[in-house]
Amino acid sequence: MNTTTPDSPAIEVRGLRRRYGRGTTAFEAVRGLDLEVPRGSVTALLGVNGAGKTSTLEVIEGLAPASDGEVRVLGLDPIAQRADVRRRTGVLLQSSGFSGELTVRETLQMWAGLVSDPRPVDEALAMLDLADRGGVRVRALSGGEVRRLDLAVTLLGHPEVVMLDEPTTGLDPESRRDVWRLLQQLRDQGTTILLTTHYLEEAEVLAEHVSIMAAGRIVKAGTPAELAEGHPSTISFATPDGVTLPPLEAQVAVDGATTRIETLELQDTLTDLLGWAARHGVRLEQLDARHASLESIFLAVADETSHHRAAAGDPASLEGATR
Amino acid sequence: MSTTSPVAEAGRPATDPRNRSSAVRRVVALTRANALLMVRNRLTLIYATVFPLVPMALLVANPGDAETGVTAVVGVLFLALLFPVYYNVLSLFVTRRDELVLKRLRTGEARDGEQLAALALPGSAVALVIIVATIGVGALFDLPLPANAPLFLVGGLLGIAIFVGLAFATAAFTKTAEAAQITSLPVMVLATVGTLVAALPDSFARVVEWTPIAAMDALTRATWLDADGSIAMADTWRDAADPLSVLVVWTVLAVVLGKRYLRWEPRA
Repeated sequence: MNTTTPDSPAIEVRGLRRRYGRGTTAFEAVRGLDLEVPRGSVTALLGVNGAGKTSTLEVIEGLAPASDGEVRVLGLDPIAQRADVRRRTGVLLQSSGFSGELTVRETLQMWAGLVSDPRPVDEALAMLDLADRGGVRVRALSGGEVRRLDLAVTLLGHPEVVMLDEPTTGLDPESRRDVWRLLQQLRDQGTTILLTTHYLEEAEVLAEHVSIMAAGRIVKAGTPAELAEGHPSTISFATPDGVTLPPLEAQVAVDGATTRIETLELQDTLTDLLGWAARHGVRLEQLDARHASLESIFLAVADETSHHRAAAGDPASLEGATR
Repeated sequence: MSTTSPVAEAGRPATDPRNRSSAVRRVVALTRANALLMVRNRLTLIYATVFPLVPMALLVANPGDAETGVTAVVGVLFLALLFPVYYNVLSLFVTRRDELVLKRLRTGEARDGEQLAALALPGSAVALVIIVATIGVGALFDLPLPANAPLFLVGGLLGIAIFVGLAFATAAFTKTAEAAQITSLPVMVLATVGTLVAALPDSFARVVEWTPIAAMDALTRATWLDADGSIAMADTWRDAADPLSVLVVWTVLAVVLGKRYLRWEPRA
């Protein structure tokens, strides 16, 4: 039996591979993936459709065996020690699965009979803002409500670790922010969260650790700050009339009415620029300065991958990378 | 979003999932939901509860006639095993698989066997009640009580197990609940030929005797017909031995097939 110390990661994945099919039709969706989710953290697995996020998550959830490699959740094997793992984890699948003819309350009552330590059903309803929907049959719910019911089921058993496959897909912006708040609250109370998303904003808002996945592998991982390192920050402003910019240690591009400067040293470049503007009495309209966003990093990675795969003659690459 | 704390207080008791009581609790929770779904589907409910007892009406014309009685009881067994058990479990399984309910439930603490039990239980319970009811309804029409009622019921339980197993196996080849109307045909035919065994020429009958409903027919005769008191209990066992072994073989076969082909997710 594995014992785990409080510092050991909540989820550990080493050299994970997952293959579908056999022979000539075989397809390897996960190709040697390493992942570590520290306890009490929010980790986001980011990638385009088809990158292998769900295939990875299903193995971590114990729904599918690994073709190769090792997975530990709370130090336990999710298949061999299924009962012990399930008692302490909550899962949200990419597609919700409910019987349309049961009411919201009946659905939660059924699930409450399936977990070791259920929350009161009313508490679960209130957590996801479904208190007034208890008597409604699931088939009559909106897509967003079904997703919130699904999340209520995930959190019903007071899980220590939750694994969420695209938790906010299909939610309207307001519900999405509500779910973010709920997840932040869970994290503040010590719950470990692993989520997949293709919303970059979601990863930026929620995650302390981001792993970018492409073609079955983690191609970049770190905190959002670490990932931004080496990626240029951007300064932009309306191109002022009749003046020439000073020489700057940065890449300057004048795109008609807008001037865009890319720099690795945002503060230095900005100081130079603003000092020059002050000395010459130039007003920089619509001035904007920002760090490399997850979006620019993600696009750079997706770009690289699609080039690699296109070069390797993989027909799926462009469709996957541009979506 | 409410301000309710989403995280548990420390020190709550850890329930051992291997504990039998929690396994029972899970099966009860799942069964209750499945039963609720069965009751909500009115047509299925009528097919499953009232319809199978219709053959007992044969006794109205011939009250107290043992041969008519056995024919009626076998008719009830045939319908009870096909509708509340086979077709009901098949469509419940396929529907819930397609709705991804089964996949979702597999992420939780409920084990696979518990899910299967809960899918089979409502229909099996209905069938068992109907099979027991034949004894009472038969008595109302002056039919003697079975000489060996326990053995008759064992036969009924084996029949239920056979058709549950066949339902899970059929589900593997059934894409949607509508497709079940087609994919259920082989088992329907297998069951129906069994009811014809008495009418078939010997050479055919010898083969058909090996089908589940024909074995149920023989078992019913052995356990019920000899009820005039002239035959000892031991004789019912001797007469029942052959059909009972046929039913045991079918039970093993159905369970093996069910296990072999079981699929939890819709085909991609």
